[in-house]
Amino acid sequence: MSDDTWLLAAAGTHLKGAVAAARAAGGRVTVLAVGPRELADAAAAAAPDEVRWLETADDQPAEAWAAALAAEVAAAAPHVVLAPSDPASRTLLAAAAVPLGAALLTRVLTVRSQDDALVVDRSSLGGAVVETLTVQGPLAAVLEDADDAPPAAAPATVAPLAPAGAPVPMQVKREPLPGAAAGIRDAARVVSVGRGLRSKDDLALLDGLLAALGAELACSMPVADDLGWVPKERYVGRSGQHIAPRLYLALGISGMPQHLEGVRDAKVVAAVNNDPAAPIFRTADYGVVGDLYEVVPALVAALAE
Amino acid sequence: MRAVVVYAWARSAAGAIVHADGGVEWRHARPVAGEDDPAAVAAALAVAGPDGDVVGLTLGDADASWALARGAARAVRVTDAPASDDEGVTAAVIAAGVRSVADVDVVVVGDSEEHPGVAAAVGARLGWPVVAGVVSAAPSGAGIEAVRRAGDVQETVVVTCPAVLGVAAEGAESRTPGMKEQLAARKRPVVTTTLAELGVDTLPAAVVAGGTRLPEQARTRVFEGEPEQTARQLVAALRAEGVL
Ligand SMILES: Cc1cc2nc3c(=O)[nH]c(=O)nc-3n(C[C@H](O)[C@H](O)[C@H](O)COP(=O)(O)OP(=O)(O)OC[C@H]3O[C@@H](n4cnc5c(N)ncnc54)[C@H](O)[C@@H]3O)c2cc1C
Ligand SMILES: Nc1ncnc2c1ncn2[C@@H]1O[C@H](COP(=O)(O)O)[C@@H](O)[C@H]1O
Repeated sequence: MSDDTWLLAAAGTHLKGAVAAARAAGGRVTVLAVGPRELADAAAAAAPDEVRWLETADDQPAEAWAAALAAEVAAAAPHVVLAPSDPASRTLLAAAAVPLGAALLTRVLTVRSQDDALVVDRSSLGGAVVETLTVQGPLAAVLEDADDAPPAAAPATVAPLAPAGAPVPMQVKREPLPGAAAGIRDAARVVSVGRGLRSKDDLALLDGLLAALGAELACSMPVADDLGWVPKERYVGRSGQHIAPRLYLALGISGMPQHLEGVRDAKVVAAVNNDPAAPIFRTADYGVVGDLYEVVPALVAALAE
Repeated sequence: MRAVVVYAWARSAAGAIVHADGGVEWRHARPVAGEDDPAAVAAALAVAGPDGDVVGLTLGDADASWALARGAARAVRVTDAPASDDEGVTAAVIAAGVRSVADVDVVVVGDSEEHPGVAAAVGARLGWPVVAGVVSAAPSGAGIEAVRRAGDVQETVVVTCPAVLGVAAEGAESRTPGMKEQLAARKRPVVTTTLAELGVDTLPAAVVAGGTRLPEQARTRVFEGEPEQTARQLVAALRAEGVL
């Protein structure tokens, strides 16, 4: 086992944060990028020590290479192998963990060496607590996707990788998601309503705020799914849209982890809720305790000042 | 097609109490199936098809009838599986349980947000291809067609059997089994087995838990008081952040 750290990447998001986590885990940092050229370039821009690139055919999912790549990783015997949390990357990671004899942990925030062990902080209970674990021997860890920090060094060079093993037969067809063009995906500011809204007609209350902020309207899942007050392509969360506005203003939303997952990449999250104990007040950047029916008009007035 | 659907039985995270010192109290948390497991059962039934066979598989002191009431024809329970922080260990036991069932075409595992490694690790242990993050699946020729989403792209992945699917729920279970299904479930066979019978060696744990604490991220700045005042405070803060 070497002191090096590998990062297995099949998707181009959150790579800078992942490389930063790999740096903290120690040794030489190698990114194994499995996908198109743009992925390899994104990996290089995150400034690891080197990028090994396996180009996949357009209709071939990265997972087709899982077993072949696991053998390559095991041969290099890094002490830590990381992956971002997208399904393909974590599938490559789990495959590599077996021949490496590595423990497999997920939702990992940081890994560091201490004495002869690895100390791991992982997010638990939907982010409510951080758990510390100590691991003997090699570790395979799925990272909790972090905000992308700017890389500290110059881009790495990209060298092709030709695994000895063959891919298994798998095909993928990619199509734009129906409804994905909804305005909230690219909006800089998004105002989102939850079940704190009492009726569909009350949506009109938000018009002034949306106009004053130049914001798009989004909602929690029940408002779209159960109540049907807002089109389905506008609900945010684990099973809805994942968005990254500069401002996400949540009105009458409790802040369940499944909802907040959709705005993990927002710059600022603010919340209005009349329950001071609402979970959203533990995760938002700013909170106003109050009735949204009173606070929304007051916000419009304050924005006009 | 024969599908094995794996389901967890663990204390509900929603019932866990987080104390101000970051300690977690589980006393009031009831054991429940995994959040994604109803969707996993639905996918297993869809993939197996009307003439297919769905077998439930669970570890520990699970209520084995949970999957039976949802359409599995029989269930296997590994009674003495250790609860492990290492998802590879959990997956190794699950894989051994799958091997105890003959002629399995597909294994469906809940692709949980809390433990997103289990499904993929089961495939790794079995040496079968894995599709994780699946929201729906259907049989397709000699294989399976699985749908998932990646950003604003929908991916349809076709994989040949045997294969493992990690299924992520899109919402809470829409319909729980009624009395009739629960009574029928009690008549269906449950096989209990042990690690020794499955030939799984219990290895010394490589992972040692060292306690929990609250995340150190900056706490929410909360404004309380009259709406006119709190609204002004929030707008000022957002202006200072440069997001308006
Ligand atoms: C597998 C799974 C996937 C899911 N995926 C998603 C998802 O993608 N997106 C999603 O949103 N949810 C999702 N959910 C549901 C999620 O768990 C929550 O149930 C949901 O987000 C709650 O919506 P809410 O906050 O609008 O409603 P509630 O939880 O009912 O919260 C309403 C809030 O409004 C506050 N309130 C009430 N009146 C007022 C008032 N007058 N002024 C101010 N505040 C007020 C209340 O204090 C409360 O906090 C999923 C669930 C599961 C099980
Ligand atoms: N003790 C267990 N018994 C059976 N399956 C499990 C167990 N732990 C985890 N799993 C499987 O792994 C998935 C994710 O685990 P969890 O986060 O505990 O729900 C579940 O949906 C189950 O399919």
